[in-house]
Amino acid sequence: MTSDIERRSAEERFRDVFGHLGAVTAYARRRGSRDADGIAAEAMSIAWRRLADVPSDDPLPWLYATARNLLLAERRASSRTAPASSEPSIPAPELHELDPELDRALRSLSAADREALLLVAWEDLAPTQAARALGLSPTAFRVRLLRARRRLRAALEQERQPAQLVQIDVEGT
Amino acid sequence: MTDHTLNRLRGANPFREGTAVDAEALFDRILLGAPDRRLDRAPRRRRRRMLLVAIAIVVCGLLASGAYGVSGLFDHIIHGPTVKAEYVAAQKQLTMPPGYEWPPLNWPANSVTSRGAGGAFAVSNDQDDWECYWVDAIHSGDIAAQRRAHAALDDLMANHIVIAPAGSPEDWTPPQSSRTPTLAFADDGGYQYKQRMYAEAAAGKPQLLEQSCRANGPASHG
Repeated sequence: MTSDIERRSAEERFRDVFGHLGAVTAYARRRGSRDADGIAAEAMSIAWRRLADVPSDDPLPWLYATARNLLLAERRASSRTAPASSEPSIPAPELHELDPELDRALRSLSAADREALLLVAWEDLAPTQAARALGLSPTAFRVRLLRARRRLRAALEQERQPAQLVQIDVEGT
Repeated sequence: MTDHTLNRLRGANPFREGTAVDAEALFDRILLGAPDRRLDRAPRRRRRRMLLVAIAIVVCGLLASGAYGVSGLFDHIIHGPTVKAEYVAAQKQLTMPPGYEWPPLNWPANSVTSRGAGGAFAVSNDQDDWECYWVDAIHSGDIAAQRRAHAALDDLMANHIVIAPAGSPEDWTPPQSSRTPTLAFADDGGYQYKQRMYAEAAAGKPQLLEQSCRANGPASHG
């Protein structure tokens, strides 16, 4: 920093970013993190170190994208100590409090479809924000969201037909 | 999102926002770390941008003044209408011999020449006509007319005819030509030839003057 004024300016800017700590913590928790508070704190530390990259007008998508990368790292670390399983992917949500029907329907979706749905439904992002969080164009995200909605609806309908159970993706991938 | 399925999903959000950590303590702890160095460069980039804008303004100013200067370089070039206007204006400062009229100047409108050329044409025509007037006066024995012609030609030589400086370009224009009709002679002895011609005519030897009148004067003397 070349001056105290610039330092204070950066701190003020970061304070706005830091105001999303609760949202990032909830995001990590919803994605099944074992240390949601730690993930959120690390995301904020990264935001401070890379403040020039954080969009000052809407930092939340950037924070979610950073938290998602940290969740992937957390999942990779845990997979090294756990028995061999599939490749780590975008973490599955913490679904144990959901009603079982919705739980199974969500798990039946691909990780990408599930993340698109949850960013909008649970993180309350607008499609353009969610697109930024996933590094997609708004158009590509809308297409993905539309397909994910259809697949979730289809999965829920199949849930109501016990004879045609969907195959559950236990790993959330 | 109006879809019933997604409304159901939204309603099933398992966690609301919130954190168990001491946010203020975390905030202070994070600020102990080094901030993004690139933020330092942002003001520099702004300053650099401002400097570039300033340089661009200066360059534009120089270009504009340069363009003005370049246009000034061609300010001495005039077209046909201006040549004719100069020719007409010069007639108010020069005197035609009695009985002579200013010949029309046939200068193409789309042709260019140096500023002052219209005045130079007028001086040249005036000189030719005064020479012929002098020849006529000699032939008719009109002493007063001879003196008037000699005086008029001396005046032209002194005040409206100059010798271009040695080595000057062909389109050299006398500085005073914009105010006073002026004819420039090349520095090749032509001016001195005219002086000798007038001196000899005044001394009773008009051969050179007659020759000049026949060569340059109105068609009636050719």
